[in-house]
Amino acid sequence: MSTGPVVLDETIHQPARLRIMTLLISQPEGGRLAYGFIQRELDLTGGNLTTHLRRLERAGFLAITKEFRERRPRTWVEATPAGRGAFADYLENLERALGRAPRG
Amino acid sequence: MARSDAEAGAPTPEESWRAIHETMERARGSLHVAGAAPILLLWGMIAPLGYLCEHLLATAWADLAAESPWVRAPLWGLLAGAGMAGSAAIGSRSGRAVARGAGGRAAGIRVFLFWLSVASAAFLVPAAAGLWTEDGASAVPRVAIGIVALGYVLFGIVNAPVIAVVGAGIAAAFYIPSYVAGDHALVISAVATFAVSLLGAGWMRLRGAW
Repeated sequence: MSTGPVVLDETIHQPARLRIMTLLISQPEGGRLAYGFIQRELDLTGGNLTTHLRRLERAGFLAITKEFRERRPRTWVEATPAGRGAFADYLENLERALGRAPRG
Repeated sequence: MARSDAEAGAPTPEESWRAIHETMERARGSLHVAGAAPILLLWGMIAPLGYLCEHLLATAWADLAAESPWVRAPLWGLLAGAGMAGSAAIGSRSGRAVARGAGGRAAGIRVFLFWLSVASAAFLVPAAAGLWTEDGASAVPRVAIGIVALGYVLFGIVNAPVIAVVGAGIAAAFYIPSYVAGDHALVISAVATFAVSLLGAGWMRLRGAW
């Protein structure tokens, strides 16, 4: 077990991005959430959400797909395996920062 | 109002931990209430329709009710069946609009099974209590509405408090008039139940819920 200072991934360690990743991780692997649902759940403006999603997408933590269904555009967001791994590492480090022994 | 936290600083570890738990908890409830507002409205129309039929069975159709007390079973069966089918269709469509994959499906199945259990209990408990008889048939709605209202309250406590309030309102809308409104009790209950459901659905819409 590392005894050095705890470093939290700053891509995730930001209020909105942390909640976005938590929301996506709460879905089983392959599960996608609608952009509108995320926006409502987290009470974020469209511009704000898009900014954070792009940052997470650039880091490879999530994938964004767009589709047309019943002539309406829909945007879906899902956590990538890399994002799930990064979030697991984040949780482990967070538990260390809180002075708890990481699980697993 | 939407938060504007694009520039927000890093949270403390404690804040992060709390945010993770709150977000997960809220997300679970939100998936369970997908489509809840239109479903509330649907039942807000179906239940009053049943009450009005019950009122007619006690007044204009009294002969039919006396000759065939079992008529309430197909009546409520038809209404409940239509309501369940409509709710499943709305819930499935609303669920697919917010989540895709095993998580969304599992949430939909859990909600459907919960309400299927409530609807089944509303029929089976009066049967087990021996109320599906000529003498007891008129008491069946009293028991069934209580079970359905309890379903709303339990579902609401776990997922969205407004649904629990609607459940209490549905119970009040049915039971209070039955004690104070005499022959017109069921008509008043029908109007009050529709009003309670409309208010509940409107509140959910205003709050941005589905």
